[in-house]
Amino acid sequence: MRLGKALAVTVATALLAVGCGGNATDDAAGGTVTLTVKTFGQFGYDDLVTQYEGSHPGIKIKQENIAKLADYTPKLQQWLTAGSGAGDVVALEEGILVKLMGKPDQFVNLLDQGAGDLKANFLEWKWNQALTPDGKKLVGLGTDIGAQGMCYRTDLFAKAGLPTDRAKVGELWPTWDGYLATGKRFAAAGAGVSFFDTAGPVYQNILMQQGDQTYFDRENKLIVDTNPGVRTAWDQTIKMIDAGLSGKIQMWSPAWNAGFKQGSFATIPCPAWMLGVIKDQAGPENAGKWDVARVPGEGAVRGGSFLAVPAQSKHPKEAAELAKFLTNPAGQTAAFKAKNNFPSSPQAIDDPAVSSAVNTYFNNAPVGKIFGQSAKSLQPVYLGPDNQVVGDGIGDALTAVEQGKLKPDEAWTKAISDAKRAVEK
Amino acid sequence: MHGSPYLFIAPFFVLFALFGFFPLLYTAWVSLRSWDLTGDAGFVGLANYSRLLSDPDFWNAMLNTVGLFVLSTVPQLFFALVIAGLLNRPIRALMLFRLGVLAPIVTSVAAVAIVFGQLYSRDAGLVNGVLGLFDVGPIDWQASKGSSWIAVASMVNWRWTGYNALIYLAAIQAIPKDLYEAAQLDGAGAIKQFRAITVPLIRPALIFTVVMSTIGGMQLFTEPLLFGQGDISGGSLRQFQTVAMYMFEQSFQNFDYGYGSAIAWMIFLLTVVAGIANALIARRLRGGTQ
Amino acid sequence: MRRGNSLVYLTLLVSLVLSVFPLYWLFVVATRSNDVIGQMPPPLVPGGNLAENVRRLFGAEQANFALGLINSMIASIAVTVSVVFFSSLAGFAFAKLRFRGRNALLLTVLATMMVPVQMGIVPLYMVMVKLGWQNQLQAVIVPFLVSAFGVFLMRQYAERAVPDELIEAARLDGCSTFGLFVRVVSPALRPGAAVLGLFTFMSTWNEFLWPLAILEADNPTVQFSLSQLATQYYTDYTLMFSGTLIATVPLLVVFILFGRQIVSGIMDGAVRS
Repeated sequence: MRLGKALAVTVATALLAVGCGGNATDDAAGGTVTLTVKTFGQFGYDDLVTQYEGSHPGIKIKQENIAKLADYTPKLQQWLTAGSGAGDVVALEEGILVKLMGKPDQFVNLLDQGAGDLKANFLEWKWNQALTPDGKKLVGLGTDIGAQGMCYRTDLFAKAGLPTDRAKVGELWPTWDGYLATGKRFAAAGAGVSFFDTAGPVYQNILMQQGDQTYFDRENKLIVDTNPGVRTAWDQTIKMIDAGLSGKIQMWSPAWNAGFKQGSFATIPCPAWMLGVIKDQAGPENAGKWDVARVPGEGAVRGGSFLAVPAQSKHPKEAAELAKFLTNPAGQTAAFKAKNNFPSSPQAIDDPAVSSAVNTYFNNAPVGKIFGQSAKSLQPVYLGPDNQVVGDGIGDALTAVEQGKLKPDEAWTKAISDAKRAVEK
Repeated sequence: MHGSPYLFIAPFFVLFALFGFFPLLYTAWVSLRSWDLTGDAGFVGLANYSRLLSDPDFWNAMLNTVGLFVLSTVPQLFFALVIAGLLNRPIRALMLFRLGVLAPIVTSVAAVAIVFGQLYSRDAGLVNGVLGLFDVGPIDWQASKGSSWIAVASMVNWRWTGYNALIYLAAIQAIPKDLYEAAQLDGAGAIKQFRAITVPLIRPALIFTVVMSTIGGMQLFTEPLLFGQGDISGGSLRQFQTVAMYMFEQSFQNFDYGYGSAIAWMIFLLTVVAGIANALIARRLRGGTQ
Repeated sequence: MRRGNSLVYLTLLVSLVLSVFPLYWLFVVATRSNDVIGQMPPPLVPGGNLAENVRRLFGAEQANFALGLINSMIASIAVTVSVVFFSSLAGFAFAKLRFRGRNALLLTVLATMMVPVQMGIVPLYMVMVKLGWQNQLQAVIVPFLVSAFGVFLMRQYAERAVPDELIEAARLDGCSTFGLFVRVVSPALRPGAAVLGLFTFMSTWNEFLWPLAILEADNPTVQFSLSQLATQYYTDYTLMFSGTLIATVPLLVVFILFGRQIVSGIMDGAVRS
């Protein structure tokens, strides 16, 4: 009978499902502790994890990874809100870490776990990002950083009568004024393509070089409208948009992806991880056409990550030890070798494996040196918990200017008022 | 009486009580609190709601949602009706056509994002290319409300027209054939038969699709997100951000969970109001006797 | 008359092409290599890389694609059978049976659909934590065993497709309400049930947000699995589309199966006969 069959199928499949759900139950039974490491993207920890398990019998490590940060972030939010699911070691992207610093006791204070001895293993500004303003709590240990270079197309530069050797190119723009001037030269030569893809990343780079704070002061008061550094970065970027240098292409859009192969833009500020993207998108036929020079100004980093131990972890001590291991200089070097994640540890940066790294696709550019230089020159910048909201607002305002929807002054006013509204709540 | 009717509807309510009611109550409770990623800061009464009412971004999202709803529902249901009517005829390769118009729902989200991203691309898009033949454009589709609404509506219509056509088709199939025969004998042509017999007799299906489209329209999330290539703020000036996107942005990007919950309840109220209004409108559609 | 037919065919043909093109393009990309993604005009001819791409697909460890397919199969079948059955019961009751509070309860069902889905994620996650169902397949099945949409759809068909006279006749024969449901109502509801079954299978199969929230990458459903094929910065589209293509095949099979039911939806034993 139809009814009976239907019921039977439902019950059977439900039972099947219950039976099939494999849940890795935790420890204690044989004295084994299972630590769950939650990551996004590719941290390159597979070999390190095996190594750690080998030297620590009694510890088993389970990695749970979500490919995209945009999918990872809502899960992180729900784990923290629900008080369960964040595992023992959790990866935090810089933008989110900054927000979470507003309530540091969601995480184990790593200073209590002996992390204070490790301060010299990290670039100063990276260490400070995870440290509460009073210096008493350390929320995370740095993993990788988005150290920047400026990638450029040698063939397009040659066509515009610009030098193509990366040292000479670097001399074209010791400052952002130099970058602007070069861009104008490029545009005047009539190559028909834009100088860079979109204004947002350029603005971001300039901003991070303007002193030790951006949108917030150390009391977390909003200073976006009064900080001259912000205005400088804004004006500089607007000048470039006005000079027609921007391709106005949205990052990660199909047009942007295609732009590397088609040569829609001549330069792009490129963090270490973008080299792989460029290589894959531009394809083998463009090998050698892309190269990497230094970035204008002193020091440029966009983004990076940390490892933290959630307070809900049942094994804080073991978790902290694991986090320390994964982020020590040897661990960071290994991660660089595995997945090209640029280290935040000065010792790792100086390690020959990193410092002498070259990228064959980019004309054998000495990327280890270029990015290392960029990372070390950056001065610490205090960001503040609502940094992302304000930053997004300014990014949108710049896009609106690029699209011709707002005049620069209108866009500035809007960005400021949006920032004030977001912060005041 | 055997088998009380309440037993028939009980399974739904039991499961809902377990898995639906708690989230509803919880969201309402959270919306009355100040709660962001730094944790639950306590009861604040209706503060989130009053903040909402004076929030220009929220009203902008409402405007977008309503505008998108009109552009994506009216043409869509009309075409669905036409297609259902056409599919009801004795034509060849019937199965192919019937399955074919359902292809959009089967097409993966990633493919839709890329295809429509390229169609509406400012520099190399197909639509701008065609418009260029008539000396129009190129249009930056994401830059303005009007253009982005049309683009997003076209994505929604593409995806759901076949779905609604199928619902209408199943309803049309239930209409007894002799009504059509009688009308034929009276000399009514195909279109007249459609208007006088088909449309009125599938009125429940029409009301149903109107209500379902309203609910879907108020909660529109996926298509505008895809159009903006994953930009939750829906454009540089929030040109196409819907209320569902705004809620997601506040809850899961800005981690303002309390505020996001309040937005969720406002969406709920909006959907209830719009649903009732549209159902009443659809009820009034009479297409003739019978 | 001929002219009318040509117009009909033309319209349907255009609709067909528009509807199917992205799916066809998906197929073409799955058989080619990654450089065709940005191409304008888009490639129309399939290439020969499908076997290679599929091999890479099943070898991609982070995606667990094979398990994703199995899990989605189990979940979609379980949910579809359950939803069709319970929605038919409830839909019939709301349409044809008289009982107190019927309209109020019906409105409640409707109201449950008006709650935005994304908000339910965190509290539902908390419920799952209490039940200990994190990363378990039942978490993506049990909450969905009935659906408000299903109840509504079946109610609407029941109203139309089950004439009151038929019910009266069966009652006079001494049928219990449940017997009535099984013998008289179910056959009449078949086209509606076919439509509901199709939609339910599809929506469960395509579900992404909730499985992403409650499962982990080692026990995924198929859409979650596909999302794991992307890396943070680069999406290998041929890989992803090969997976998508394979993931689409069960949907097409279900289509064809249910499609016949909808086509043959003429009521048996119509009242007028």
